[in-house]
Amino acid sequence: MEKYLSLLSFGDTGWGDELLQGALVTISIALATLPFGLALGLLVALASRSQSKIISGLATLYTTVFRGVPELLTLYIIYFGGQILLQRLWSGLGFSGSLSISPFLAGMMALGLVLAAFSSEVWVGALNSISKGQREGAAALGLTRGQAFRLVVLPQLFRVALPGLGNNWMVLLKETSLVSVITLQDVMFIATRANVATKEPFLFFSAALLIYLFFSILSAWGIGRMEMRANRGFAR
Amino acid sequence: MTTKRVLLAAAALAITGFATGAQAQAITEIKIGTEGAYPPYNNLNAKKELEGFEIDYMNDLCAKMKVKCTWVVQDWDGIIPALLSKKYDVIVAGMNATPERQKRVDFTDVYTSTPIAMVGAKSITSTDISPAALKGKAIGAQGSTIHMNFLEAYYKDSTIRPYPTQEEANLDLLNGRLDYIVADLEALESFLKDKGKDCCKIVAEVKRDAAIHGPGVGMAIRKEDAALKAMLNKAIAESKTDGTLDKHAMKWLGKKAIQ
Repeated sequence: MEKYLSLLSFGDTGWGDELLQGALVTISIALATLPFGLALGLLVALASRSQSKIISGLATLYTTVFRGVPELLTLYIIYFGGQILLQRLWSGLGFSGSLSISPFLAGMMALGLVLAAFSSEVWVGALNSISKGQREGAAALGLTRGQAFRLVVLPQLFRVALPGLGNNWMVLLKETSLVSVITLQDVMFIATRANVATKEPFLFFSAALLIYLFFSILSAWGIGRMEMRANRGFAR
Repeated sequence: MTTKRVLLAAAALAITGFATGAQAQAITEIKIGTEGAYPPYNNLNAKKELEGFEIDYMNDLCAKMKVKCTWVVQDWDGIIPALLSKKYDVIVAGMNATPERQKRVDFTDVYTSTPIAMVGAKSITSTDISPAALKGKAIGAQGSTIHMNFLEAYYKDSTIRPYPTQEEANLDLLNGRLDYIVADLEALESFLKDKGKDCCKIVAEVKRDAAIHGPGVGMAIRKEDAALKAMLNKAIAESKTDGTLDKHAMKWLGKKAIQ
């Protein structure tokens, strides 16, 4: 028991501080991805409801591709493929030297693109729940389409979308565990390296499990609070 | 507010990620990629620092070449793509210079050559590890390694299981899901001294097959970096004659680097 505690201690001989740093990387990549992915998801949802066949077709293509391709592959494509593409462009423009995508940005982009694809379906569902009469009413009051969306539709959208988006967030939190393949030192990275160094797989994988569980319990609580607040006008 | 701050932090990280290391004539800085999960060659310790034979050896070479070296820890899967996309300039990660890998990257001269062995349960009495003898058995190895290639080439009638790191293959041997594992001898010895003490033993050494295993472990570099290759080769050659290489090998591997 003492041995396990010392392995998890802080400082130079224990892995406790490293695991916490890993937890910080995990949560910051998830938090940084969230606004980007949700905003892009909303845009894709709006595009899929567009009158233009081309725009709605592109939106369908987008969700099909990014919901269908494994996240791991998306990560590889952005981090390695994106790098090679960027380098070609950079040299093609006549600049010398090298340009690189940071692992954090690549991870955020890859996870964000996937989150956007999944959350766009939630947004579409929420958009469909708002009756056409509301837009017509807004138009009758002289609001432009943009104003109607911003002032009438958007505030109601969030309430309906929240449970689905909460789900997306939980999935995102777990998918951050893939980022160690692009050199980010998240919880899973630290846990595997600690296992290799100490040969204590169950200890460190259990520690990783508790960290993920802590984040998801905290999230569930937070989402629950947000739902209560969003629904306060509908309470009986 | 929090969202804003996180976005700002992300932007800052992205910007600092844009390194403009112009490839000048004289090389003054090298970025080195390693796996950090392969003791005693390279692994992370509880201080989150790299340690091992290759870490000490390469840091020594860097000092002798008077270049600034920075290490990047990259998972084994993707270690070559990251080199090709210039995330670092050289791989020092116990990588065997196999003909297959030489199609994509260049290798420096060999600085160590690792004996290869097969490990199995203590109850195994035969030392025959020929494909015919292991027909129908489950054999594990780390994926995308020479050991995996070796199994795929010769052990067609056995069940071959690839693992992300050696550690997981070891675990599955302990759990009884595997009958044999194949890996570098040093890696297996450290397992047998520890967790595998009671269950397993070395069944036999695997004879190197040049077409699959290559001549030994070298540093991988991009094909176009001829100047870097020449510089590293010179440093490696010097380390072989002045005893630096064997000094580190004795410390970490308990034997000379090249047998």
